[in-house]
Amino acid sequence: MSLINYSSREINCKIVYYGPGLCGKTTNLQHIYSRVPQETRGKMISLATEMDRTLFFDFLPLELGQIRGFRTRFHLYTVPGQVYYNASRKLILKGVDGIVFVADSQIDRFEANVESYMNMLDNLTEHDLTIEKIPFVMQYNKRDLPRVVPIDDLERELNPRKAPYFEAVALRGTGVFDTLKVACKLVLKTLG
Amino acid sequence: MVKGNWALFEEDFWSLNTILQNLIQSSSAKSVMLIDKTGQLISSIGEPPGFDVTSFSSLAAADFAANQQLAEMVGEMDFATLVHQGQNESMYLSLIANRVILVVLFDRKTSLGLVRLKARRGGEELLAVLNKLFDKLQYKNEDLSATTLGAEFTAEAESEIDSLFKE
Repeated sequence: MSLINYSSREINCKIVYYGPGLCGKTTNLQHIYSRVPQETRGKMISLATEMDRTLFFDFLPLELGQIRGFRTRFHLYTVPGQVYYNASRKLILKGVDGIVFVADSQIDRFEANVESYMNMLDNLTEHDLTIEKIPFVMQYNKRDLPRVVPIDDLERELNPRKAPYFEAVALRGTGVFDTLKVACKLVLKTLG
Repeated sequence: MVKGNWALFEEDFWSLNTILQNLIQSSSAKSVMLIDKTGQLISSIGEPPGFDVTSFSSLAAADFAANQQLAEMVGEMDFATLVHQGQNESMYLSLIANRVILVVLFDRKTSLGLVRLKARRGGEELLAVLNKLFDKLQYKNEDLSATTLGAEFTAEAESEIDSLFKE
């Protein structure tokens, strides 16, 4: 939920990276953290297990600086992808302004993508939101791997509303900023 | 025109800060913060904390949200207050108007009992201001539109996004 503070002149927006386990949500945030100027980023928080799997969320605040007198920030969150962490996913969606769905392009992860996408729709409903009403960007990650689903098939199954999509290799940073930029701009448009 | 899901105006902000300031003085706490339930900092008063308040806010909201789920599991509506007690530093969190979290950071110069008492009173005052604010947001959309930011804001923000978020 975007919050505009007219007195301290701040605007904060929340973008959530959603997707199945090991699809690359945390990798997206890590790449962003490593490449944005130091003064733009805050502290990155990862609540992860000992095996580096996201337990509750990752959090990365980004600050655009002063825009017409307002300090404008985007708060990026990831959800834990594993199926049994659904309570956490629901909590993190609270007050979301925009969603990036990170799909794993590998053939054997196709069902996991669909399951996670359906789970996202269910969880949005619980917050009285729908995918049609919220800024949404699709990212097809791991395009460099050998056995991947063709984009047309992924689009048909995961992106029926034809939201903007990007092909990505998050480990190398390919497509990460393209995805983020469009997500941020779509969120700003809904405020406008 | 830019408008938020919720907005905080000058007069409300100062009313809230006055209450927070009084709370610090009466409880001898180190600092107090108001945090939106979604993890965004609204205001911070008192000794400047030696940590990243943005990250702190997101974790405090997550802490509260997780505990609320635990409350439901044991058959409670919610745990309206949480206390984390350390050897030297402690914190008291309480939910106000089901939307905002009051966080009081305190050390051994005061006691949990006093903090709890004063935070409860301060919480009632905060509730009154917040309820008025939420009424204003709900019923006076036309007033809100008069204070929104304009297309220039969106254009400028977009250009900043292009220049900052690149390889």
